[in-house]
Amino acid sequence: MFKSEEMEINLGPQHPSTHGVLRVKLRLDGETVVKCTPVIGYLHRGLEKICENKTYFQGQVWTDRMDYVAAISNNLGWVEGVEKLFGIETPRRARYIRTMLTEMNRIASHLLWLATHALDIGAMTVFLYAFRERELLLDLFEAFCGARLTTTAFRIGGLREDLPPGFVKQARAFQAIFPERLEEYETLLSENRIWKKRTVGVARINAEDCIALGVTGPVLRAAGVPYDIRKAFPSAAYAEMDFEIPTRPEADTYARYLVRLAEMRQSHRIIQQCLDGLPEGPVMAKIPKILKSEVNEVYHAIEAPKGELGYYFVGEKGGVNPYRMHVRAPSFVNLQALPKMIEGRLLADVIAAIGTLDVVLGEIDR
Amino acid sequence: MRLLKTLIPGDIAAGLALTGKYFGKVFFSANRKKVRAHLKHFTQEYPEIPVRLAPRFRGRLTLLKDEQGEIKCVCCLACEKICPTQVITIEKGKMEGRKMPYPVRYDFEMERCIFCEFCVESCGFDSIILNHQFELAAYNREDFSLGMEGLGQNMFAPSPVGKYSVAED
Ligand code: SF4
Ligand code: SF4
Repeated sequence: MFKSEEMEINLGPQHPSTHGVLRVKLRLDGETVVKCTPVIGYLHRGLEKICENKTYFQGQVWTDRMDYVAAISNNLGWVEGVEKLFGIETPRRARYIRTMLTEMNRIASHLLWLATHALDIGAMTVFLYAFRERELLLDLFEAFCGARLTTTAFRIGGLREDLPPGFVKQARAFQAIFPERLEEYETLLSENRIWKKRTVGVARINAEDCIALGVTGPVLRAAGVPYDIRKAFPSAAYAEMDFEIPTRPEADTYARYLVRLAEMRQSHRIIQQCLDGLPEGPVMAKIPKILKSEVNEVYHAIEAPKGELGYYFVGEKGGVNPYRMHVRAPSFVNLQALPKMIEGRLLADVIAAIGTLDVVLGEIDR
Repeated sequence: MRLLKTLIPGDIAAGLALTGKYFGKVFFSANRKKVRAHLKHFTQEYPEIPVRLAPRFRGRLTLLKDEQGEIKCVCCLACEKICPTQVITIEKGKMEGRKMPYPVRYDFEMERCIFCEFCVESCGFDSIILNHQFELAAYNREDFSLGMEGLGQNMFAPSPVGKYSVAED
């Protein structure tokens, strides 16, 4: 009676649940997704090219603007990459403070993910609760470096300044309340039947596909692969920290939710260890005023909240700026898993899949 | 068992109990002075109640003067060079009775400043700071070009007050 035909629709680029300016071209058969093509590039600013024209010192400010919800992680990757290129040793205290702030940033990023992911799926309360805790962390960032989002927190060779007075107390206050707050989120979501219906078994991607596509971070760990750069190639002070890599075997949206919650607990543990074992000493190494590189190339990766964030530098002889700079952005690579996750599934699952991948468009388009 | 679970929504009840707990706390402490510490308001009634910023907050660039009212800047051009967005332009000059060079012009295009504080960091004479001003919106593009003189838009003014800015009231 009815003629059935496939239909093509656009999701985004101005759809609130695509977390920015992601456009997804969807070919639908009824409500089933037949084909899915992410279209990116709406936020392209040419950051890699800009950084090639700036000195190693100046380039850091652009990394803030890639993954803007985890700017401190990006800063860490940049400064450590440059330090590797020039062979600079950072003082131990600076490394501890860097580790602590990066872990705080991981919690802040995961909280933002939890808030928006839950909001997309229809849980409003979690959004408000998660932002409440994120606010405490942003206050800490503001106290440390003067900005809440675009932090430019570290410097090549260490930190610009030591922790401000009162920072440790404020951080301990956050540490004291956070586990209780995490339990609140779990009360609201973990057993909730609507949440489970929307997430259990949705957007599966198995470990082989993850590895073939280069997917890293919580998405890979939720597929049962315990790969974490903090353990595999420890930088900053991660080698001295005691923490676990949470994994789940199910590889669905619900597993990724559990993995990220467990990661927040581990980050909480690392922050506690940093606060307790904060060594005394200087926070800045002696570095030459102008950094001039040799012919050299360096790849440095760190575990950003979204996955492997890598910086690739090629130095010129006597150059004050990188000859070539490339960023391996975790969101960009993770987004490639989207078609695999949702083809053959319902349209409503696309929203859950985009949310669970935790993409930030500033980082995808650069 | 499954039917029982569907009929008795324990999961939903747990969630409701949590939100109810918060509702109760706020409801019964709304008109009391002593609000429990963790219930301190996270949203602020911003224009009426001024925001408290951290001491290191990075706001608008300001030129400083010393006790004698002299401009502290000595035109070493370090800030101009380090600025990642190239928004500072300085013109060197001489002034009677001053040994050090003196900035004839110190132009600052705020619309492109990214508030990174590299300029302040590079200045070896402590002659600039980023102040705590954050209400920087304005209606015209010219309002963002700051210099040493001008209609209340100069670099010494505590803040570039827009016509309809809250700061003016
Ligand atoms: S804060 Fe940064 S962008 Fe702004 S003037 Fe100073 S160096 Fe330039
Ligand atoms: S670095 Fe300081 S002294 Fe040098 S030109 Fe800039 S403001 Fe003036």
